[in-house]
Amino acid sequence: MYTTPTCVYCKMAKQFFQEHNVQYEEVDVARDLKAREEMVKKSEQLGVPVFDIDGKIIIGFDQQELSELLGIT
Amino acid sequence: MIDVLIIGGGAAAMSAAIYTARKKLNTQIVTDEVGGQTALQPEIYNYAGFLDKDGHQLMQNMRTQVSELGVPIVESTGGVKKVSVREEDGKEVFIVTDNAGKTHEAKSIIIASGKKPRTMGVPGEEKFSNKGVTYCATCDAPLFSGKTVVVVGGGNSGLDAAMQLTKYATKVYVFESNEKVKGDQITQDKLAESSMVEIWTNIEVKEVKGEKFVSSIVYKNKTTGEEKELAVEGVFVTIGMLPNSDFLKDICDLNQWGEVMINPKTNATSHVGIFAAGDITDVLEKQTVIAAGEGAKAALQCYKWLQSR
Repeated sequence: MYTTPTCVYCKMAKQFFQEHNVQYEEVDVARDLKAREEMVKKSEQLGVPVFDIDGKIIIGFDQQELSELLGIT
Repeated sequence: MIDVLIIGGGAAAMSAAIYTARKKLNTQIVTDEVGGQTALQPEIYNYAGFLDKDGHQLMQNMRTQVSELGVPIVESTGGVKKVSVREEDGKEVFIVTDNAGKTHEAKSIIIASGKKPRTMGVPGEEKFSNKGVTYCATCDAPLFSGKTVVVVGGGNSGLDAAMQLTKYATKVYVFESNEKVKGDQITQDKLAESSMVEIWTNIEVKEVKGEKFVSSIVYKNKTTGEEKELAVEGVFVTIGMLPNSDFLKDICDLNQWGEVMINPKTNATSHVGIFAAGDITDVLEKQTVIAAGEGAKAALQCYKWLQSR
């Protein structure tokens, strides 16, 4: 999960993951410039959050799509 | 059947839900997401009794209150598409269709769908959305570290965005279309201290250009009539908000700006059984604390109306 410290949707996503016991790795692209480049390359855009779930890229906190991909009902 | 369906996920909607649920009305919320504009405010200093400052936290607190009262929140709906009416035993029943295609029926409605950022409507804006063009400085400012950016709009949101960007960007331009910026003097003074900020007035944006990402902005200097191009990698658009009221045109009266017209005492709209609260309405002040109060007012009046129905 690519985030910035100020991004509200990142906070919402983290809370959503915690509620559903989903483990995730968080990368702060405000500090980590290499990770930012990686995120831009993967998502071809500049917004956060971006999720990489086994190679499937999701841009923005799309609760429905994340739920479907992660099997959350 | 649901007694009251609340449309929206901001302070007005949450506050309304707390009041209707405590009146034991069967309540449901339909929204694209919980948080509204308040959740995007990194610092809130004017909500009495709230000391955390973080707007997202304030909205999380409201959400917790609503959930603890057992109110279901239907999220990720893409917003509401349509409100229609049918009759049952001589009484109106409201049918709310969301953009995910689901319908919800209720005896009454409280509209609290708030506002969305206004777009510039110039070539390139949509194409480069999230590719340099953004409407949320709080969310995206850190991604523009080391870059030259422009903030379009010199109101309070624009100046706040510029303030936030001074922490990251190397150069911040503010484009204001009028002769003077309208943002608070206190922020203007702070920005004036920063050598990296330049405020340009009488500027009209013509186009956003780039290949994959934004590389420049084309503008017209309205004083000289000249059109020029400025190299920027970020365009932060802060030119006001538009009400999320497209789905209401046929059901209740809207004013010239698309805001729902309400009776200021009762929050009733022109359609009996539909109430409205917060920034979606023609209430003069758009503030979180006011939205919360308006939501409570709408809820109590809605309760009274349902009792008399």
